[in-house]
Amino acid sequence: MSRLRSHHRNIAWLVAVLFWALAFSSGTGASGKSYSLEATPVAEGVWVVVGSTDNFSKANGGNILNTGFIETGEGVVVIDTGPSRRYGEEFRALIESHTSEPIVKVLITHHHPDHAFGSQAFEPNTLYMLDESASLLEQDGEAFSDNMYRMIGDWMRGTEVTVPMNRVQPGLLSLGNRQLRLIAMQGHTGADLVVLDETSGALFASDMVFFNRALTTPQTPGVALWRSEIRQLAQLPFSLVVPGHGPVIRDDRAFLQMIDYLTWLDDVLAGSAARGLSASEVIDTAIPERFSEVEGARYELVRTVSHLYADYEKRALNRH
Amino acid sequence: MRRYWLCAFTLFASASWADLPSDPLGSPLWAYNIERYLGQEVTVVVDERVGLSVPDFAEDSTQVPLAVNLREFPHKVNKVVTWVDMNPVPHLFTANSTDGQLKLVSLNFRVQQASSVRAAVLDEQGVWHIDSGYVDAAGGGCTAPREVLSNSDWESEFGTLKSGLFSDRGNTRIKASLLHPMDSGMVGNVPAFFVGDVEVRNESSDNLLLTMTLAESAAENPMFVFEFEGGIPHLSIHMKDNNGYQFEGAIGEASP
Repeated sequence: MSRLRSHHRNIAWLVAVLFWALAFSSGTGASGKSYSLEATPVAEGVWVVVGSTDNFSKANGGNILNTGFIETGEGVVVIDTGPSRRYGEEFRALIESHTSEPIVKVLITHHHPDHAFGSQAFEPNTLYMLDESASLLEQDGEAFSDNMYRMIGDWMRGTEVTVPMNRVQPGLLSLGNRQLRLIAMQGHTGADLVVLDETSGALFASDMVFFNRALTTPQTPGVALWRSEIRQLAQLPFSLVVPGHGPVIRDDRAFLQMIDYLTWLDDVLAGSAARGLSASEVIDTAIPERFSEVEGARYELVRTVSHLYADYEKRALNRH
Repeated sequence: MRRYWLCAFTLFASASWADLPSDPLGSPLWAYNIERYLGQEVTVVVDERVGLSVPDFAEDSTQVPLAVNLREFPHKVNKVVTWVDMNPVPHLFTANSTDGQLKLVSLNFRVQQASSVRAAVLDEQGVWHIDSGYVDAAGGGCTAPREVLSNSDWESEFGTLKSGLFSDRGNTRIKASLLHPMDSGMVGNVPAFFVGDVEVRNESSDNLLLTMTLAESAAENPMFVFEFEGGIPHLSIHMKDNNGYQFEGAIGEASP
């Protein structure tokens, strides 16, 4: 009997120790991981934090995207928060080391986890998103989160889906000495925010534009719509383009590559459907030499076939 | 105690099969599933000319494409059996090529977890030729709720059969898509409701070209592709599910 009681006491101690360990380890940085973020100035008062063009992995912790921030004289506007709470916290510290202005607006361009999962690190009343994007994040956030834990593991520690409390409207946003043009598009996810800093000409195209990195299609309403919106972006008075993934560029090459790539994808899918090819055959399609610099093209083709090919196939068949 | 039984079983399974070639993918289910789907004491060779093609990873665990491309296969094709080793019920389909002229068969499947996938082809001498692939997956495809339920008008769409006839390098290809939930019976409170049998006929000669039985690994809304040697101007496809619904269509110049 007394033996049993001491057994219980031991368990109680064990539980207490576990809780204590958990409480301390859930603080950030506990495992010593760091994204080592660096801010690159691209225009007066405009910085970009450039990520790699790889896939999500436990090596890169999901730092595969570009984020940015803009000084306005009346506070900082932040564009996207990164893939995890840890990224968000490091990003916020980085911003605060470059400017003494307070962070007044954090614009989340779309609901994908690599862009929206660092939001916990920022004040809730500074977070903004398009209305439709917020609905998509409500709907898909938990599934994205599960997948992120699977893909990047411990980097996700403490990350919870955070839907911004404020909504952003397309149009002009004047703040301090800046005039920002906020544009709502649909090509990548159905609700994509693009930010043009009219003062410097910096265009934060987010995932509407991938450069030297294969574009991703899980939620696209269609490649034809996406392509027409790229043509609209190309008409804007920009001096530099910050793609969602890939290097910053000061001419229209990213747009030309996007149009070329989307046209190729559309042709491959429609042409394969017209020949009666199975999805397994389409994923083996040769990738043209001119896309040799586009990172991840084969991998993304496999995904795109899964997302879009069934619709092309059904259009090529006759109903009985 | 249970562990000893398991060891004894494993020993038995491997000992009874001295001449089974080793699994190129090293799956623990290699011998077990070969015996289950091809039979005991069968002659098996590992042969890449079977042309099994699956993606390296499942972007959607409920819809993974698979093709068996037999164009390089030098023998007559009597039968094609495919299975997904780690699925709760691994079997995907068995296709009988009645005249041996099958050149390609393709069907989408579900995957419950990362798994090796097999295609075994029986030639005219009774030898099974096996090719393997491996699909990485987040999984859950076999026990995910069907997508069609979230679509309010699924009852009016149910049973929609679409098809097309294509010719490729002198061969005839038929593609058919059926809107069907293909409930495997593995989701709670959803009874099994799936297409089990498929037949393809040459409409002109009324010869049976192919019979196929489907199993639990087959995906919702199946998309079939079959390619046969030579030109066949008129074909028909016929499917039957376990509730007695029949779906059929004539394909080719004669189709309305």
